[in-house]
Amino acid sequence: MAEVAAVVKPKPRPIIRIGLFLISYSFLVSIICCVAGVLALLLLPVLAKNTYISENALMPGSASPMLSSADASDGHMFLNKIMSQNSISINTGIEIPEMIGKHIIESGGEVNYHQFQPISDNFHPLQFFLGPDVGIVQENYSCTSYGINTVGIVRAPRGDGKEAIVIVTPYNSVKTTTSEALSLGVAYSVFSLLSRVSWLAKDIIWLAADSRHGEHAAVAAWLRDYYALSRADLEKSLDMCGPSSVLGLELTSVKTNGESNGFRRAGTMAAALVIKVADSSTGFEKDGLKIYAEASNGQMPNLDLINIVNYLAVHGQGLQVRVEKIWSLLDSWWLYSLGELQELLGKVAKSLNPGWKFGIPASDYVEGCATLANSLYNQALGVPTGPHGAFRDFQVDSITLEFSPRFSSSQRVLFLLHVGRLVEGVIRSVNNLLEKFHQSFFLYLLTSPSRFVSVGIYMIAFALLIAPLPLVAAALFSDASKSKSGKDEASLEPSQPGESIPTFTTWNWIRTAKTVLMVHLWGAIVTIIPYFLCRFPNSSPIASLLMWIASSLVWLFFICAASGSLSFSRASQLQIREWTLLKAVTVTAAFIGLCLMSVINYATAQIGALLLVPMCLMAVPLRIDLTAKTTKALLRGACNILLGFVGFPPTAFIMLKGALDSSDRIRLDDFWNWTESLRAWNSATYIYICMVHLPCWVLCIRILLHRR
Amino acid sequence: MEDRSTIGSWRNKLGFWKWAIASVFFRLILTYFSKNLNLSSRPEVSTPLTSLRRLAEGYWLKQLSMSPYSGSMYHGSPLLLSILGPLTVKKIGGLSGELLCSLVSLVADFISAILIRATGASLVRAYLHNWKSLGLDKLFKGNEVVPSGDVAALVYLWNPFTIVSCIGFNTSAIENMFVVMSLYGASAGLVPLAAFGWVVSLHLSLYPIVLVIPVVFLLGYGLDAPPRKLFVQSNLQGEEKRSACHAELKSMNDKFSKTNFSWWRVVIFFLWASVWTSYVVIMCAISMKEYGGLGEMFKRTYGFILAIEDLSPNIGVLWYFFAEVFDFFRNFFLIVFHVNILFMILPLAIRLNHRPCFLAFLYLAVSSMLKSYPSVGDSALYMSLLVLFVNELAEMQFTFFLFCGYVGISLLSPVMHNLWIWRGTGNANFYFATAIGYACFQIILVVESVSAMLNHDRKIRKLCNKV
Repeated sequence: MAEVAAVVKPKPRPIIRIGLFLISYSFLVSIICCVAGVLALLLLPVLAKNTYISENALMPGSASPMLSSADASDGHMFLNKIMSQNSISINTGIEIPEMIGKHIIESGGEVNYHQFQPISDNFHPLQFFLGPDVGIVQENYSCTSYGINTVGIVRAPRGDGKEAIVIVTPYNSVKTTTSEALSLGVAYSVFSLLSRVSWLAKDIIWLAADSRHGEHAAVAAWLRDYYALSRADLEKSLDMCGPSSVLGLELTSVKTNGESNGFRRAGTMAAALVIKVADSSTGFEKDGLKIYAEASNGQMPNLDLINIVNYLAVHGQGLQVRVEKIWSLLDSWWLYSLGELQELLGKVAKSLNPGWKFGIPASDYVEGCATLANSLYNQALGVPTGPHGAFRDFQVDSITLEFSPRFSSSQRVLFLLHVGRLVEGVIRSVNNLLEKFHQSFFLYLLTSPSRFVSVGIYMIAFALLIAPLPLVAAALFSDASKSKSGKDEASLEPSQPGESIPTFTTWNWIRTAKTVLMVHLWGAIVTIIPYFLCRFPNSSPIASLLMWIASSLVWLFFICAASGSLSFSRASQLQIREWTLLKAVTVTAAFIGLCLMSVINYATAQIGALLLVPMCLMAVPLRIDLTAKTTKALLRGACNILLGFVGFPPTAFIMLKGALDSSDRIRLDDFWNWTESLRAWNSATYIYICMVHLPCWVLCIRILLHRR
Repeated sequence: MEDRSTIGSWRNKLGFWKWAIASVFFRLILTYFSKNLNLSSRPEVSTPLTSLRRLAEGYWLKQLSMSPYSGSMYHGSPLLLSILGPLTVKKIGGLSGELLCSLVSLVADFISAILIRATGASLVRAYLHNWKSLGLDKLFKGNEVVPSGDVAALVYLWNPFTIVSCIGFNTSAIENMFVVMSLYGASAGLVPLAAFGWVVSLHLSLYPIVLVIPVVFLLGYGLDAPPRKLFVQSNLQGEEKRSACHAELKSMNDKFSKTNFSWWRVVIFFLWASVWTSYVVIMCAISMKEYGGLGEMFKRTYGFILAIEDLSPNIGVLWYFFAEVFDFFRNFFLIVFHVNILFMILPLAIRLNHRPCFLAFLYLAVSSMLKSYPSVGDSALYMSLLVLFVNELAEMQFTFFLFCGYVGISLLSPVMHNLWIWRGTGNANFYFATAIGYACFQIILVVESVSAMLNHDRKIRKLCNKV
């Protein structure tokens, strides 16, 4: 389009001249940009910075821990009681909550039982554009299977009751394992300490979440009620179930404190820590700590929270802190050689000028890559990696701390002491906060517990990758309009007045835009088809998948027939260069979609761009390649077919899965299960696949099959 | 008659009524789901001035015999309160009050579309006639003239912005209807209607006050035409050419070929305008009698618009600026920003006085860009007015770029808002960035459309010289 401006005016403005320059070399520019984008992505572990505690008020580790070994042995006794409780009785799931409640009251806290039923998540495709809708109390509340969360609250002696810190310990109330009991022991020892201390300025909530319906469901149900449950709702749900089950329990244990059975609240939550203990021991000589931070749709807690935990764990308690990584990448030779290459470059640069410091050891690089890949993967999936994900939906920063003890059974008291001191230190730090976490980053990727890549850096990789899209779109567009206007001028130049009549050359994109819009509309239909397929309960995944594909195809043909633009039979009617316009509009649509997705969930957009950008940029009708019969053209055609094959979402999924875990047998119905889980977790990735990736793929295939 | 047939073929292809009725049904369906969409709380859709929720609040206050303006909730007209107020609380056959109000918006949208269509039809007629009277009509051999009225009306009805603001429980559809009514009245020569539309739209949202210039030009000079001196030239060149003109066009012909300004109609317009103004003022005075009188009303409506008291985020650029600016500069910048609109008026009026409808489009676009509480409803109006000139703007540049920009911004802006307000990972700058982007695209749209229009005029001049 800028090209047209150049035709009209002999000397356009400088900014347009730069644009023209870029457009005329768009092929070269796009190759350079794409390669640079991929390189920048691979260089992210090198560019990662060390974390630092940004908020001054936190002051981690400034006070010596108060948790004594007496507290730890209290916690150990509590643990033993739970284990004995677990072994002797025929468990109905009430005994342990009751015992926890008793202990909470003994240590001076307030207790409250929260009865809940897991709510099946509804799919809201519009939630990224509109606000969330919280506080839906179920209509069909049945009393058959429920869970009981035990909530203990310490009121802060120095606080005003407006803020709170949450400790969550998920456990299965029917069958409690030793590790779950350990986490309860940790929480109890910290809780009983905190009920005595005088420095507390924020209330402490201990949520012993009943995880028999899943950890996340329990925490999410409690949070939903914490924020939205009104008294009337509570009475309604209690009335429906009658005073038999939980109410009886509550009467026995809570009456002593003279409390009513309402829902107890403290203030707004400043932070939440989910404490878990891993079943297996580490095998290292130190106790291990694994941090899980990814919440739904690539949201991360404030980096400061991770920083405090990391700082206190490493410097205070001497734990070995790790974040999850993709193990299969650790052994890959190409990554290692890449790491060696950058190390070598770093050395060369350092020998040239000692001031240039980049390059990290190759093993660090590989580890960073594996961690980064896992971070990207988890964010892209949009499924939270633990119960902490529920908090992020309410803007509460939270992480899951998974401890793995060094020895399996002995020295539990020491373990409790270490972990308890760490938790106490973190709580004390958060307690110092004057306002909610805001100082540090929310948008970042971790390459190790103490290194991170901030949004300003990782966006460069993404921006480089998608920068060719608008350029190529502009080049193609100007090509299309130039060829058309050139043709007009050539035919009309002899008959003088012809150039005068307004021809709609600059509006010729409208028909193509309609096609693209229709295909994206089809994408929206494809998005909601599974919602109806789920109504048939007893269908196997493979049948559902086939039904989905078939109905999508039917809809595609229906829409094509309705719009009359995409149908393959009438393609010959289109003008010769029509496909360039179609490609221009497709590329623009992909650009808008990717930009939008990068705001919603960066990781999805990055991974999607790696697939979508080459596919969109390469797409040229196969017929042209076949008729040209040069090596280059044939190569291009082969690339196109390959990209078209890889770009189809199910094949892309299967190939990715095969690459990541080679041990598993790969089946087609995995794809359905995968999309099902994405939908259940309300992931933006699902919407991206159906409404951006799939339509663009269809349009690219349309371009490939274009008849000259 | 040949022109008629070319337009007719287009018109048949378009199927105006089919699509118009389809759009009405589409709106009805969406209205049914409006509870789930919850559009009425969107900053893009309802502003403090247009929100019907606020209107319901004001109505309640009035029912409790308090001033509807107390508590800084309602800032609209008292007349709207007494017309729409009862609807917000009434329930007819299971329909809630909000649904009734969106039915009102639907009707208003439909009327606006019909009026746009009528305006466009007369514009196309004038366009063809001008070409003929300049002796250029034989250039039309192969090309068709787009029935811009039909297209513009459909664009208005199917524009996502219009649809969203129609089901978003606000009054912008009604405001738009009066603006369009005023333009239609002026272009069809119905002076009382033009005056009525202008006065009411001025009363409702203040900014249409600048439309007085295009309306006066429309009444004085007639519909959009190429520069008048071309007609003088062609008059001198060939008087006999136009003698064969159709009888129906004769009167218009006289109207256009005359270069003088018909003061008489303008005077009548101002007479009618003063009649309607006094009527509106008296009605307002009656309804505000117990609540502080007209002074209170002016302070709470126009004062609220001009002083930009509500700094809650919207798609405009002023809220951010006035949230940042120091208090002692505030008055100065208020003046600067409002004068900004006024600065544009005079040069545009001088340069484009031969195209009053286009001038009206420009004023609406500029004011919707610099307005204190803009919403997507304003954009919907000026976009469909832009389409009225599709024949003249056939060679407009950057149309695809603008289209993509509008699509991108309108998708990105809610996401940024979500990121800021609900997810808490973004901040106000994220959202404001999209607001700036939106303003830039609007500026490019205005600049490009003006330059395309001027190029069109130049081309006609060149052609006239050739012929």
